[in-house]
Amino acid sequence: MPDFGIFRGFNDKLFGNKLYAGQLPTQLGTVGSIVASDVDAQAFFNRVIAAGGNLSLLEQYAVNQLVLDLKSYSIWSKMKAIYPMVGSSSAACAQNLKSSSFTGSFSSGWTFASTGIKNTSSSGFFETNCNDNNFANNSISFGCYSRTNISLTTYDFGIYNTSLGRGTWMRLLNLGGFGGGVQQAPPEIGASNSDSRGFFQMSKNGSTTVLGYRNSSQLINTTSTTTNATNTTFYLGALNNGGTAAFGFSGKEFAMAYIGDGLSATDMTNYDTAVQAFQTTLSRQV
Amino acid sequence: MIGYILTTEQYEQIQGQYYSPSQFFNCVQDINNVWFLFLSDQDKQEILQTEWAWVLELPTGEYTPKPSPPFPI
Repeated sequence: MPDFGIFRGFNDKLFGNKLYAGQLPTQLGTVGSIVASDVDAQAFFNRVIAAGGNLSLLEQYAVNQLVLDLKSYSIWSKMKAIYPMVGSSSAACAQNLKSSSFTGSFSSGWTFASTGIKNTSSSGFFETNCNDNNFANNSISFGCYSRTNISLTTYDFGIYNTSLGRGTWMRLLNLGGFGGGVQQAPPEIGASNSDSRGFFQMSKNGSTTVLGYRNSSQLINTTSTTTNATNTTFYLGALNNGGTAAFGFSGKEFAMAYIGDGLSATDMTNYDTAVQAFQTTLSRQV
Repeated sequence: MIGYILTTEQYEQIQGQYYSPSQFFNCVQDINNVWFLFLSDQDKQEILQTEWAWVLELPTGEYTPKPSPPFPI
C-alpha cells in the first residue's frame, strides 16, 4: 500500500496522537477523549465535565485504574467519598469519585495544581459535606495523602465538636507525632512520626480498636471508647467545630482524601498500594 | 502573612458567599479581632470576573493570628 503522507497528517489533525496497546496516555490532550473502562470512573468524569472542569487523559487513566484497584480489593463498596484531587481546578477537585453525593466546596485560600490542592497556614478548608452521622458506631475510616512535610500546631482532617467534646479527626505531624481520634472523646491517640508526607489513614472496624497507618506502616493499634456521631461534616485542611474551621489550618498540599465505612488492617494496606500506584502514575508520589 | 482587611460590615457581606460554583469566602479574625481575607492568585482571577471584584481593592495588612485554643488532650 503506498504511503500517502497526506493521510498521516490528515489523521493526526483530526484525531490527535494515536494510543497503541500497552502505552500510557501522557500528553494526548484534554477531555473529549475519555478512556474509562469502568462505569463509575466514567460517571465521575461526567461530573467533572458538568461542573466545568476537565481532566487530562493521564488523569482519567489513573482514576480509572484507581477505581478498578479499589474494587478488586473490595474497598470501593465501603467508601462514601473519595476525592482524587485531579483536574487542577476547584470544579474538578470538589467532585466525589464514589458518587454524586458529598460534592465538596472550597473556602477561599486554596491553590489547585496537577499535584493537588494546597491551603495556606492561615486560611482555607475543604467542606466535604459528608456528615459523620452517615456512619455506624465502630465503622468509619478516613484518610488523606499529603505531599508536604511540615510540622505545625494544626490539625488536618476531620471533626472535633468542642460543645460535645468528641469527634473524628487526625493530625499528620504535630508535636512530633501522628495522631487523632475516631468516634471518641479525648485523650487523643498518637504515635511518633517525623514526616507529614504520605498516605495517612485511621479506622474503626467493628470494634473499639483504632488503627492508624502512614503509608504501609501501622503506627497506631489501640482502643478508644466509642461515642455517638456529632452531626458535623468532615473538613479537609482544618477540623470542623460545629460549622467553624478550628484548631488551625493545615498548610499542606493534599493529593487525595477519602471517608468511608470501617476498614480492616488488610484493607488499609491494600488501599495504600492502590493509592501509591495512583500517585505514581501521576508523577506526584512522595 | 499579608491579607485583605475587612470591616465588620464587609465581613458580614461576604462571609460564606460563593464566588464560583465551588468556592466561597471564608474570613478569619486576627489577634486584634480584625477580619482578614486570604486569597490565592487563582482565587483572585476567579473573583475578578464577579460581583465581588471589589474585595480585590480592599486594604491589606500583616496578619497576626490569634493564639489557637489548645486542642483538648
